[in-house]
Amino acid sequence: MDYIIMLLPSMLKGLTVTLKLFSITLVMALPLGVIMGMARISSFSPLRWFMEFYVWLFRGTPLLLQLLFMYFGLMTLGLRPEREMAAYLAFVLNYSAYLAEIFRAGIQSIDRGQYEAADVLGLSRYQTMKNIILPQVFKRVLPPIGNEVINLVKDTALVYVLAISELSRVARTHVMRDDTFIPFLIAAIFYLMMTGMVQRFFKWLELRYDYFH
Amino acid sequence: MYILQAIDIHKNFGSLGVLHGVTLQVQKGEVIAIIGPSGSGKSTLLRCLNHLERIDSGRIEIEGETIAQNNSEGQAVYSSEAKITQARRKMGMVFQNFNLFPHKSVMENLIMAPTRVKNMDKAEAEESARLLLAKVGLSQKADNYPFELSGGQQQRVAIARALAMNPDIMCFDEPTSALDPELTGEVLMVMKDLALEDMTMVVVTHEIGFAREVADRVIFMDEGVIMEEGQAEEVLLNPRQERTSAFLSKVLMAR
Repeated sequence: MDYIIMLLPSMLKGLTVTLKLFSITLVMALPLGVIMGMARISSFSPLRWFMEFYVWLFRGTPLLLQLLFMYFGLMTLGLRPEREMAAYLAFVLNYSAYLAEIFRAGIQSIDRGQYEAADVLGLSRYQTMKNIILPQVFKRVLPPIGNEVINLVKDTALVYVLAISELSRVARTHVMRDDTFIPFLIAAIFYLMMTGMVQRFFKWLELRYDYFH
Repeated sequence: MYILQAIDIHKNFGSLGVLHGVTLQVQKGEVIAIIGPSGSGKSTLLRCLNHLERIDSGRIEIEGETIAQNNSEGQAVYSSEAKITQARRKMGMVFQNFNLFPHKSVMENLIMAPTRVKNMDKAEAEESARLLLAKVGLSQKADNYPFELSGGQQQRVAIARALAMNPDIMCFDEPTSALDPELTGEVLMVMKDLALEDMTMVVVTHEIGFAREVADRVIFMDEGVIMEEGQAEEVLLNPRQERTSAFLSKVLMAR
């Protein structure tokens, strides 16, 4: 017990790093995903092709590799990126690609008739997207987005390759130093608490969107 | 003076010709029923009038404003976006599948366009929406969501929603085709009331009874052309074309 209390400060510090990466990624990647999802089905074909390439690139390579690329790649270019910056960048770009695909599919799943009804009523394309299409899309994409957010909680552990001391790296350091697996247990509990909250939050969101079919 | 004119309309979907020179002229206050077998192009014609489809050649005029006309090569050229938007505002449209906004209550469906397109004051829009709901017999349903309504009720809301923009012309694309038979009556009743108020109406329909009772003029389309048109009684009771009578007997037999 004393050992656990002794561990807590550094574990909590790791948790903060994890949570920061998690929140920054989510706050940036969600709106980017919506925009990229729309760009993916834009009538302007170069934009569409670019987005297709982008999604292929970031879904088609391991996030771990993207992290290394972002850091060492930028360094070779003569830039001196901070490790955290490189991590945020890689995570935001990677998660945007996944979310873009979810939003694209969501937008395409809305019945043509909704666009036509908005059109004959004189709503502009922007008004149609904002007031008619996207609110319906959000309801439909909640389950897959929930999946992605839970993945994100766990993916944050990958930034250990950039020697960033997030939760799991801190745990590992203690395990190796103190020759006990208790730090791993604590890390697991922290992850379960985070994913549990995400799960509950999405359940609540789905209920909130249950007022229409 | 016609309130709506579509002259020599041609429309293809890729290599498939759908309209082969259709001319439709509508006078103010006139109720026109367009009948014909599926695939005859009647819905496409209606959608061309509404700018939901673009025509390949021909001329469309709404209340004297030219929306599209042929260039010297005989291809339709559309007027400016602003002019089209302006002209379309004069037309309301009711779809076969209602197309109500499922995430909006009945009231929100009705005031959406008036408040956002016409910048009408919300209270004012709600007030006129209530009058419209009373007119279609759904005063009690203002706060309900579309999924809580029957098909017939949803279609009546859709009619009220179109009327909320105060159109001069109402287009109906098979408004009762998606409904259970026992629910068509309530929708047709609302449409009949509209006709009695001298609303200009273009109705694509399979309801021969409705056409006969309400329409001033009936148009029979087949294979992308108008085969026959005239006064409702004339076309429906004494069709001159063999195809018209064949179609009518098929439709009436199914009743």
